[in-house]
Amino acid sequence: MKFQVYRFNPETDAKPYLQEFDVIVERGMMLRDALMEIKRQDESFAFRHSCGEGVCGSDGVNVNGSNRLACITPLSEYQGDLVIRPFPGRPVIRDLVVDMTQFYAHYKEVNPWLMRKDALPEQEILQSPEERDRLDGLYECILCGCCSTSCPSFWWNPSKFRGPQALLTAWRFLADSRDQATDQRLDDLEGPYKLYRCHTIMNCVQACPKGLNPTKAIGHIRSLMLKNSI
Amino acid sequence: MSRTASGFRAWILQRISAAWLGLFVLATLGYFLLSPPATFEQWRAFVAHPVVGTLILVTVAVVLLHAWVGIRDVLIDYVPPLALRLTLLSLFGLGFVACGLWALQVILLASGLA
Ligand code: SF4
Ligand code: SF4
Repeated sequence: MKFQVYRFNPETDAKPYLQEFDVIVERGMMLRDALMEIKRQDESFAFRHSCGEGVCGSDGVNVNGSNRLACITPLSEYQGDLVIRPFPGRPVIRDLVVDMTQFYAHYKEVNPWLMRKDALPEQEILQSPEERDRLDGLYECILCGCCSTSCPSFWWNPSKFRGPQALLTAWRFLADSRDQATDQRLDDLEGPYKLYRCHTIMNCVQACPKGLNPTKAIGHIRSLMLKNSI
Repeated sequence: MSRTASGFRAWILQRISAAWLGLFVLATLGYFLLSPPATFEQWRAFVAHPVVGTLILVTVAVVLLHAWVGIRDVLIDYVPPLALRLTLLSLFGLGFVACGLWALQVILLASGLA
């Protein structure tokens, strides 16, 4: 199978270019295995990966125009040449390695932890099974960035729009029965940029390797704002 | 728009105005299918009716509001330079106000009030 791989080393290259590699594909091979084989062929090639089973969220790349997590992307899904690029819209550090600082900064800005007004109890704070169910489809996010870097609104306003990942996380804590900072969280998302740059394009839903739905979470935040304003 | 009106309120205005416009289009289509005004005089009488004239003016205002939120969204997304964005916003804003005044003039003339 032929791979056209994006190469760019800012120290030596004036411009990025695509380099072709030939990899013999075996049954059950994932894209990450092919990238490791390419690294064997040319050890100057750089990409991130770690766990190899879709948990750490490090090996997100752009495959034929779509953001995928390489370790859980079977090569059997593709015919013909593959074009592998780094995530769109992020500064390239080298080859497929991009700078995700801004993405993590947005995550941090939504206060991704439980905020309590009451004093913390001695024991754990209990939830009913229904209250716990509300967190399904939200807590599973692995922060891979496939969603936010495929979102056009995040491309246009990456410093101001929180992006689908951070907004999914914001809803994860708004939906949590143990959290007591609903008003503060909603106020923090006011203004035209942080939440409302989302135009329901739904690229994030298509991109998420964990099958999560940030668009739906954003809709829930908007409904909650509506409910709290009347 | 004030700072607090710029996110949530713009969004909810967009939804409410869209619902109003949808209803208005359906209602007018229904009316024109059942009894379309045939002559200029009938048209003028239709528009001069106080209820119809008021509804039209309200709808023009709603269209302009809807367009304002929409164009503001487009400019925020695609025109990052602040000076250019403000210039374009002002031009559209003036244009929208002019459209509204023009519609007002049309209705007043038709009703014989101006
Ligand atoms: S992206 Fe996730 S699953 Fe894939 S190698 Fe990295 S950590 Fe592992
Ligand atoms: S929502 Fe999905 S695509 Fe986005 S960072 Fe989390 S796991 Fe990745």
